[in-house]
Amino acid sequence: MNYSDIEKIKPQIYKYLGFYGVETNEQTDVLITHCISQLEKTAQFNYIYMSYENTPDFLQKEPYIDFLQGAGGVILCAMTLGIQTDKLIERLFRTDMSKAVVMDAAASAYLEYLSDGYEKTLGDDLSFRFCPGYGGSTVEDLKYIFELIHPEKIGITLNNSNFMLPAKSMAGIIAIGKKSRKSCKGCIMLKDCKFLNGGTKCYEQTQVK
Amino acid sequence: MLRANAGKVIVFDGGFGSELERLGLSGGIPEELNITAADKIQSIHRSYSCADVATTNTFGLNPIKYRGKYSLREIAVKAVENARVSGNAVFFDVGPTGAMMQPMGELSFEKAYDAYKQVAEISRDIADGFIVETFSDLYEAKACILALKENSDLPIFATMTFDSTGRTLTGSTPEIVANTLTGIGVDALGVNCSLGPKELMPIVERLLASTDLPIIVQPNRGLPVLENGKTVYKLSCDEFEEYIEKMLDLGVSVIGGCCGTTPEFIERISRFSGKDVVKREYTPKTMVNSANVSCEIDGVKICGERLNPTGKKALKEALINHDLDHLVDEAIKQQDCGADILDVNAGLPQIDEKTLLPDIIRKIQEYCDLPLQIDSSDPAAIENAVRVYNGIPLINSVNSEREVMDRIFPIAKKYGAVVLGLAMDSHGVPKTAQERCEIAKRIIATAEEYGINRSRIMIDTLVVTASAEQQLVKETLRALEMVRKLGVKTALGVSNVSFGLPYRQLLNRTFLAMAFERGLNMPILNPLDSEMMGTARAYELLSGIDVNSQRYIELYKDFSPTAAVQTAVKAKTETAAATLYDCVKQGLKTHAAQLTKEELKTKDPMTVVNDVLIKALDDVGSLYESGKLFLPQLISSAEAAKTAFAVVTEYLPKDSEAKGKVVLATVKGDVHDIGKNIVKVVIESYGWQVVDLGKDVEIEDVVKAVQQHKPFALGLSALMTTTVPSMEETIKAVRAAGCKVNIFVGGAVLNAETAERIGADYYTKDALEIAKKLDEVLSNV
Repeated sequence: MNYSDIEKIKPQIYKYLGFYGVETNEQTDVLITHCISQLEKTAQFNYIYMSYENTPDFLQKEPYIDFLQGAGGVILCAMTLGIQTDKLIERLFRTDMSKAVVMDAAASAYLEYLSDGYEKTLGDDLSFRFCPGYGGSTVEDLKYIFELIHPEKIGITLNNSNFMLPAKSMAGIIAIGKKSRKSCKGCIMLKDCKFLNGGTKCYEQTQVK
Repeated sequence: MLRANAGKVIVFDGGFGSELERLGLSGGIPEELNITAADKIQSIHRSYSCADVATTNTFGLNPIKYRGKYSLREIAVKAVENARVSGNAVFFDVGPTGAMMQPMGELSFEKAYDAYKQVAEISRDIADGFIVETFSDLYEAKACILALKENSDLPIFATMTFDSTGRTLTGSTPEIVANTLTGIGVDALGVNCSLGPKELMPIVERLLASTDLPIIVQPNRGLPVLENGKTVYKLSCDEFEEYIEKMLDLGVSVIGGCCGTTPEFIERISRFSGKDVVKREYTPKTMVNSANVSCEIDGVKICGERLNPTGKKALKEALINHDLDHLVDEAIKQQDCGADILDVNAGLPQIDEKTLLPDIIRKIQEYCDLPLQIDSSDPAAIENAVRVYNGIPLINSVNSEREVMDRIFPIAKKYGAVVLGLAMDSHGVPKTAQERCEIAKRIIATAEEYGINRSRIMIDTLVVTASAEQQLVKETLRALEMVRKLGVKTALGVSNVSFGLPYRQLLNRTFLAMAFERGLNMPILNPLDSEMMGTARAYELLSGIDVNSQRYIELYKDFSPTAAVQTAVKAKTETAAATLYDCVKQGLKTHAAQLTKEELKTKDPMTVVNDVLIKALDDVGSLYESGKLFLPQLISSAEAAKTAFAVVTEYLPKDSEAKGKVVLATVKGDVHDIGKNIVKVVIESYGWQVVDLGKDVEIEDVVKAVQQHKPFALGLSALMTTTVPSMEETIKAVRAAGCKVNIFVGGAVLNAETAERIGADYYTKDALEIAKKLDEVLSNV
């Protein structure tokens, strides 16, 4: 990852750490750079997807209908940084707590960064990744994605509580041929969202001072 | 019977999923098609009759993955029957469970074993062999293969998947996979699925160089591409065949196809069937490994000795109290200091080694990925530990007594472990090098009787104490040279040499250098001893092992004796200038203990707690609340305060130690415990004693812990909506058991309303708030 890309994902990492609209500090900045370079060595990024001309059955309900309105097809996808990244974070929780929380935030941002990059290679007319659990949908829908695209093939498992393991994994739905914007509509956290209260949104690029 | 090592190329069939799709059978549970669409399944098997082996359509047929309406046996019988129409040998296809193994996931080694035991039971009398395939977790593969081996006599072929980084999805290299699967005794091993034949080539080459077993390759039809919104494989038959031929030229024995390959592909490569397997060069290596780290014993490898309770009071206490966290910390420290392997010994009369040793192995492997040396005199403890060990361990040890070897070698053979042999017998350590070498020969010969290659044997030529037997020190060294000539690697517990003499370090490191020069590979020493480690690194440079002096320079580039002194002086002055208050506020953990001792010279312990520690924490807390300081700093401060508090506690009367106990747990079903970990360190810094039950904690375990520890508070964490019901059940169970305890809940999706609804006493939004609330509730008691 080059310098400018690290700078690009830094704001997101700060946001996960709770720095919004406030000054960052050098100590954390150094830690973030260090964490990203360690992630680059440890993470085993894998991405799996399938595309469908006809919308799979489980998406025939809101909020997916709305999300897929006007789309020419749909991609189901799943991606992970692999179990070694989870292990790295777990180990840090024993040896260096403050680095562990930074690493955790950095890993989340790094996974999004790599996934966004990968999706650019799939086409330039794709929507953002809508993940079950977002705006009015439920994480229970993950099981349909697992039935259809088998993220086990890239080492992601789903437990009975609908948690994906490795923890640094995502699964999502992408509309083909449709640009769409993320919104807070229907989000379960809307009432006491720390991002909104801090004057930003979880998905929005915010400049940190 | 079909044998992988008969020297002839064997051809397996190709992709099944893509054929099902072509016949319009995608969707649903593929294994059930053996019953509901037997004719079509048979037609696929017929189309692959050009191969030598048919693979049953049973990839997901294990009790963890399969949740359909038929019994496993019903499907197994039909699946084998269907495959028989090919007229070929039938291998029962065994795939992964789809669940994540502990410690990262929820599936225990034992449960995985039981699942595959059932698979063996339903198939062993009807199939001709097993093809264990598409595994990505070495540990799950080990559980599966052991279950199949222990419950059937059929040949086992095993393949794993690798990604483009050349590792399995759980991070094992081809060398690690080959060493482990060879060790546990499969008949052939290799790679399937993953990538196309071209991309698999480097992985295949590495597998071929890491074992003498037959290698299997079943590649996909190239890499999938997205075309008009559809995922397609595009590699041509010609190219596929071309790469397979290249692999055969390198010495691959078994070939076939995976995703995207069709009967046409298998037809093409079936022309290689029955040809002579190309012979390949293979030099056996002495190698141990965990799932992620391999260590070939060659040159210099350091075995850390600190996880052996002999003469270590703190470790003894930790073992007796089952405080495995202490052991993990020791393991991590040794790894950070450059150890390559860690010795693990739990031999104390007070404890049951048979049950504790495997627990220790699991716990250490959870956090430390170095290969381990399992050190015990109890064969049952060794077997239990080696069985649950993820990878290939070293066993410490046997001597040349027949009885000892007869108990240990079968274990080593079964699990592929490397064994450390001590050059001694029932009469003790012989005086001369010649006699020790004779003993080594006996150990090697007996191992070979058990089918253990000498590459899996190491010899310790045994250090004597120079103060008692000065003239024998050189015999140990001479024995190293002689033993190395037998083609085995060597080990020594170096520091015994200086026992009873002054300035032991000087003797130890001098002896170490002498031993290296005479052929020592693996000193067993304290990796935290920088002089000993330095001697090893210097030897590596001077003997040319450390190519281009790279490692040495990396380690010592900033080193100069004056700089070392200057840093020490600087640290001292800085410490002297800072106060404990500043130290906690700035989160400087390293100085906290020393400064606390300073403060305690002039203040009584409670004053230090209230006027310094709590004040600093409160000030950090308000900066955090007002958004002027953030989580990482808050945690650093909490850690510094925790260190200080531990020192203060030593000065407090025993009965006033801590404010009280708090039991913490992330509820059943929830595996995210970052928030809980932060709460732990923060409330510890405020003087609470925390019993941390971890994540995904069974309801009954929470109840048990509350009953046992009688804590002041119970803190439960849940991250997602799906685990809030589990939190509610946990609270109900604790209440139903009649436990009087203040229940605190927290986690991303909770709020005060939910907390009340599910029966909790308090909801707190973050670690700082719970620390304050705990104090508030305590003051109202």
